[in-house]
Amino acid sequence: MKTKFSGMLTLLLALVVQFSFAQEKTITGTVIDDSGLPLPGTTVLVKGTSSGTSTDFDGKYSIKANQGDVLVFSFVGYTNQEATVGSSNTINITLQESAESLEEVVVTALGIKREARALGYGTDVIKGEELVTARESNIVNALQGKVTGVQITNSSGNVGGSSKVIIRGVSSLSGRNSPIWIVDGVIINNSQVAGGDANRISGNRDFANGAAVINPDDVESMNILKGAAATALYGSRAAGGAIIVTTKKGRANENGNALVTINSTIRFDDLFITPDYQQEYAMGTNGVYNAGLNGFDWGPRIEGQIVPNLPITGQPGPLQAVKNNGIDTFFDTGYTHINNFSVSDANDKTDYRISLTSLNQTGILPGSKLNRYTASLNAGIRHSDKLESRFGVQYIKSKSEGTGATGANDPNIIGLDFFSSTLDTRLFSPWKDASGNQINHIVDDAGALSNNPLWLRHENSNDRDDDRVIANASLTYKPFEGFALTGRFGVDLDDDKRLVENSKGTIQRLVGDFDSDNLRRQEITVDALASYTKDITEDFSLNVIGGFQYNSRLVERQRIQGVDLLIPELFSPANAAQTIATRDFTESRLVGLYSSAEFGYRNWATLTLTARNDWSSTLPKNNNSYFYPSASLAFVFTDALGIQNDWISYGKLRASWAQVGNDTAAYQLDFNFLPVTTANGQYSLDLNFPFNGALAYRANPTIPPANLVPEEQTSYEFGLDLKLFNGRLGLDLSYFKNQNKNQILAVAIPESTGFASSVLNVGQVDQEGFEIALDATPLKIGDFTWNTAINFSTVESKVVELTEGLEQFQIASAFNSVQVLAVPGKEFQLYGFDFLREPTTGRPIIDPDTGRRQQAAQAETLGSVLPDWTGGWINTFSYKGFSLSATIDAKWGGVMKSSTVENLQQSGLVKETLFGREGTFIDTEGVLVDANGNVTDNNIPLLNAEDYWTASLGVGSVATPWVYDATFVKLREVSLSYTFPSKMLENTFIQGLSIGVEGRNLALLYSKVPHIDPEASLFGSGADGFGIERSNVPTSRSVGFNVRLTF
Amino acid sequence: MKRLKFIILASLLLASSLQSCDDTLDINTDPLAASSADPNAVLPYVFVQYSARKVPELGTRICDVSQYISNTFNSPNRGSVSSFLTGNTWGMYYVQALGNLSLVKADAAAAGETSNNVNAIATVLMAHVFYEATSLWEDVPFTEALNGAEFPNPKFDSQETVLNGVVDLYDEAIALIDAIPASGNFQITANSDMFYGGDMTSWRRLANSLKLRTLMMLKSGGANVDAKINETLNQPLIESNSQSAIIRYSGQPGAQNAMLTIITRFFGPDNESQDVFGPGDPIDELLRDSGDPRYDLWVARNDLPAPGNDLFPDPTTSVLSNNIIRADLPDMFIMPAEIDLYKAQLAFEGVAAAGDAETNYKNGIRNAIKWWGQDIPGAIATVSNSTIDSYVNGLPSPSINDIYNQQYLAAFLQPVMAWNIWRINKVPVLSPPPNSSIGTVLRRFVYPPDEIAANPNTPADKPTQEPMWFEN
Repeated sequence: MKTKFSGMLTLLLALVVQFSFAQEKTITGTVIDDSGLPLPGTTVLVKGTSSGTSTDFDGKYSIKANQGDVLVFSFVGYTNQEATVGSSNTINITLQESAESLEEVVVTALGIKREARALGYGTDVIKGEELVTARESNIVNALQGKVTGVQITNSSGNVGGSSKVIIRGVSSLSGRNSPIWIVDGVIINNSQVAGGDANRISGNRDFANGAAVINPDDVESMNILKGAAATALYGSRAAGGAIIVTTKKGRANENGNALVTINSTIRFDDLFITPDYQQEYAMGTNGVYNAGLNGFDWGPRIEGQIVPNLPITGQPGPLQAVKNNGIDTFFDTGYTHINNFSVSDANDKTDYRISLTSLNQTGILPGSKLNRYTASLNAGIRHSDKLESRFGVQYIKSKSEGTGATGANDPNIIGLDFFSSTLDTRLFSPWKDASGNQINHIVDDAGALSNNPLWLRHENSNDRDDDRVIANASLTYKPFEGFALTGRFGVDLDDDKRLVENSKGTIQRLVGDFDSDNLRRQEITVDALASYTKDITEDFSLNVIGGFQYNSRLVERQRIQGVDLLIPELFSPANAAQTIATRDFTESRLVGLYSSAEFGYRNWATLTLTARNDWSSTLPKNNNSYFYPSASLAFVFTDALGIQNDWISYGKLRASWAQVGNDTAAYQLDFNFLPVTTANGQYSLDLNFPFNGALAYRANPTIPPANLVPEEQTSYEFGLDLKLFNGRLGLDLSYFKNQNKNQILAVAIPESTGFASSVLNVGQVDQEGFEIALDATPLKIGDFTWNTAINFSTVESKVVELTEGLEQFQIASAFNSVQVLAVPGKEFQLYGFDFLREPTTGRPIIDPDTGRRQQAAQAETLGSVLPDWTGGWINTFSYKGFSLSATIDAKWGGVMKSSTVENLQQSGLVKETLFGREGTFIDTEGVLVDANGNVTDNNIPLLNAEDYWTASLGVGSVATPWVYDATFVKLREVSLSYTFPSKMLENTFIQGLSIGVEGRNLALLYSKVPHIDPEASLFGSGADGFGIERSNVPTSRSVGFNVRLTF
Repeated sequence: MKRLKFIILASLLLASSLQSCDDTLDINTDPLAASSADPNAVLPYVFVQYSARKVPELGTRICDVSQYISNTFNSPNRGSVSSFLTGNTWGMYYVQALGNLSLVKADAAAAGETSNNVNAIATVLMAHVFYEATSLWEDVPFTEALNGAEFPNPKFDSQETVLNGVVDLYDEAIALIDAIPASGNFQITANSDMFYGGDMTSWRRLANSLKLRTLMMLKSGGANVDAKINETLNQPLIESNSQSAIIRYSGQPGAQNAMLTIITRFFGPDNESQDVFGPGDPIDELLRDSGDPRYDLWVARNDLPAPGNDLFPDPTTSVLSNNIIRADLPDMFIMPAEIDLYKAQLAFEGVAAAGDAETNYKNGIRNAIKWWGQDIPGAIATVSNSTIDSYVNGLPSPSINDIYNQQYLAAFLQPVMAWNIWRINKVPVLSPPPNSSIGTVLRRFVYPPDEIAANPNTPADKPTQEPMWFEN
């Protein structure tokens, strides 16, 4: 016994001695991430021991350690950092997010950060740096090719134009297919209201979509939540997915001072695709020259012959071909300057970042420009252990001028089919005389004038002046450990003023007119959220959230249209002989209660259950409440089964199920009479009320619904997430299936009932799809790294049923009977006329009297307007400070109708129309069918090649010759940058410097649509049309330089 | 304990916010719409919206089918009717006009006999619209139309059924007017009744005159309507130009005749300088050298040849005069000349109640010339009574062909009537325009795509050269 005791004493003494030598003390500090936010749950270990702790909700820790000990700080998704205990008792640590980390932290619904391993659904994260490598003026376009399952449609080359995002295919027949956008917890509006014609087919001005104002320089990350389970906590509005934008927060420079960043880009734009113009025949018709027929080159062969009236000048002279029909001189080189300046700082109490950005862009379309200025502030204070507050505001001023008109029936439309082989576009300048009258018109042989396109571009305004404020404020209170209460208020205010004008003297709008269109939008979101986290046992963890959300959306539009101006450029109602004032107002509100419970088991299995109930102002009072649940499970089987080897380091299976609802637009429930200011006539020759002193009301032609129920989406998703070969290869697979029922639609009913449509719950659209994302580092030799990422997604959005008696439903309508339709059993279909065909051979039947083809009796479906699959391939090569990155994206399948190609061909402007210009022209593809049904090859000559293209192919409303496979592959983005090594900057005030060359839309690698960019779409982001193009502003290719400086 | 306090506080907060939920969400009423509307506000919409579609769309495109105008844009005269022309017109007739009129009529019927006046006006206008609809498409929904609750897919009735129904509607309107109480009636404001400012005697005369117009079409189709025709002849009919039913255009911006605004918006100041609308060949042939003062009133540069059926005028041709293509040209529904010339035809055919054929014939011509040369609102060029008298009195006794020719002239610039009169009489003889795909004058519209898509009862389209029932 004695021996034993003394032995123990000896041991104790030895320990005491050891302790006294080691001078144990308490080290405290805060662990933050590189954006300055505290990192709760960071593990702090004394290296080589099992002694450790983790940070609290504020990222604070306290640990006993000895001087000389090494503390190891680790957090999933971040690079481990070590610090040696010195004389100080405080060690603050900033953990850097790890690029090669196996784990990621993802911002999920309601801004809640989660480890990726705990998620039971697929998400995609785009980091801020990826958005600024080759900056786009519309942030949506920066996603092209980079995100799985996301389809981006950039409608045109308009500066400040809109872009559409569709996540995992279309689900709605009523156009509600866009995801919601959330900036720092605030729902913002991403809607788009076309300028000019509301149907977007007649002189539409494609003004930007709402989210285009998000400044890429201020973005820390963008998370794309795709499935219903991911977005269930957002409620009904996220049925199309959610894009969550987190803006940059203040952080200090590595040396502890403020961090100053300057990022400048200059870029040059030119025409992306030039039609293959023919240069052998002059403007005119039937082989006869006519100086007034610009964009109609069926004139004589160009042989230098003297004509009495050359185009524009009207002077006699020789006919000569102009290279590329003069489009190179007509379109400008566009310039874009993007400058960002930001200052940020942070300490353990506050973080702060201000940023100023200017974007000054001139487009390739003469007279088009966009100036956008963004000022943003993001700040937070940790007042105490228990209380913290944040505040963020972004003010964006956008001014665009000269937005191009698209569609038809508007003199301001200048498409690629405007130009002629013998028309020298340089002669259009100048476009006005000293008194301000239009000069250098196009003049036809009879002396009739057409507009000088430079007059249209420079004198007719298509202006938008938009002020936007997006702000949020939040307060978090943590009364005890694990429990937090957060209140958040967010507002998105938009004051959008448009002026579309035709100056007096514009041919076809001789008297002058203007449309002053002011839109005000306000969206307010208030959240109150409580969360509680607890490790119940060593194995079980629990995370519960409960919250309340209030969301209100208000849109007010006041419009004054004036026709017949006294003083040419004075856009006051009092200056217009005819004024039409209209006013629109809608307001809708949503109240939601939600909760989520996350059960974790040993950090390898996580079950998340969510529930939300919404009450919507837009649904019938007795049916305005809808509940939707979701469940998701994440199972990290590698951890569960203890698999850890060289070829597989991480593997997760995920599964989710969700059911969400959706409401409808405001004011759909009551039958009402609407005050009328305009009686519509053909060619917009409208009459106005009061008419002869009388005011007017009309009945709403839509029958309100009797029993409306919320729309219902049920979806499930399975996924597999693998990290292989020591993290050199990452693979993410998803399969999903959604069912969208009870769609709320205004269904067309026979007009002979006295009404045009009826609001009903009808139809079902199913989506089924598969996504693969692959991220690999095939080569890593010394300083050289090659990283390649491939994403592929295929989704079939099939219309399962409509309603009884309804065989098809029109999604969008365009020209010449071309429509986009929902037809049961199919994807959204292009619908139009084909030729009358002989059934056995399928060849067109020729009219024996004319030699021309004929139109089929009935229009038919012409194929899906949605792609079979989309994909992207990003390669990044880096060597020391050099980095070369290239993005290729592809959209495969689907059809489109191009009216621009139709016009180019029918007007004899392009090379394929050179065939058969001399001599007889017989349509050899056609057949003749006699009275007895005998089929013979056609031998009836047409008048000429012009007759073939204009009257035979162009018979009636036939669309099929211009319906193309819309497949394309594009080299979307290339950037080469060099980051100077810090050694070189040692003796300067500069901390970091990188320079780069960048390019966007560099090459069309594959396309089946001739002459144009197949990505063009008539419908901007706010409309639900696909697959139709007409006179779009040509898209541009851009190349530029970039300098990034931090100090 | 602390936790409990917070949970209670949080729950209270939640509960209080939910309590106000009902009020918060009670905002789904459009502040810019009305739950009901005064007929005095709905009728102007119907009058003006009807006219806004009819004048630029049917006005140019049917007047050129019947060759009153040389050539126009997007005309169906070569056999192909665009989906816009047929769709816009159908929607205007059934939704904008009939949809609103049936609501006015239903409200008036519910209000009882003190609203007979409004009821009758709505009924007359509805009858007129159905008459025009069957004129364009032949078989159209009538018996099951405008009652979506009972007939979601209205069947299409034969032209004879529709026309008989139209006659019944005119009878119903006349009966309603005859039963208007002496006092306590609904006040029709002067501005809202664009024809007669609320004068129901005029409406009764109009109903009877339009009924005669409809019966003439039934008669043309072979129906036995002699008794009905006699009935109308014994009731007041429109006799003087001041009794005409027209929508006046003030000529101010927003109230200008679209025949002119097509020109001012797209070409230049007026028709004579821009050469947009020229006289059709039949107008030229009937009026040139006839001594009829209408030639000078209608046609400028009329010493030059007419442009021809398929061509626009140019400086080497005659052109329709600025005297008629003008901002304040009214939209004309019916004028007395039409009635006079029906009576002339009927008298010629032996209907005693119609009176004397020659007297009616000359009255018709006199009324027509007086209309264009004196009575039409905003007349620029005028013709004196003595000129008219000397021309009319010098005319010989008419043949039936003369009467038909005058009926054709009397329908000048009245879109649907212009086409109907020709299809009934086939006089003057029209040759189809060059490049016509049907080899004849257009006989009918095709059904609009929207109705075809939504209503399974829509019959298959007949070829556009196939005559309608009333052409029998």
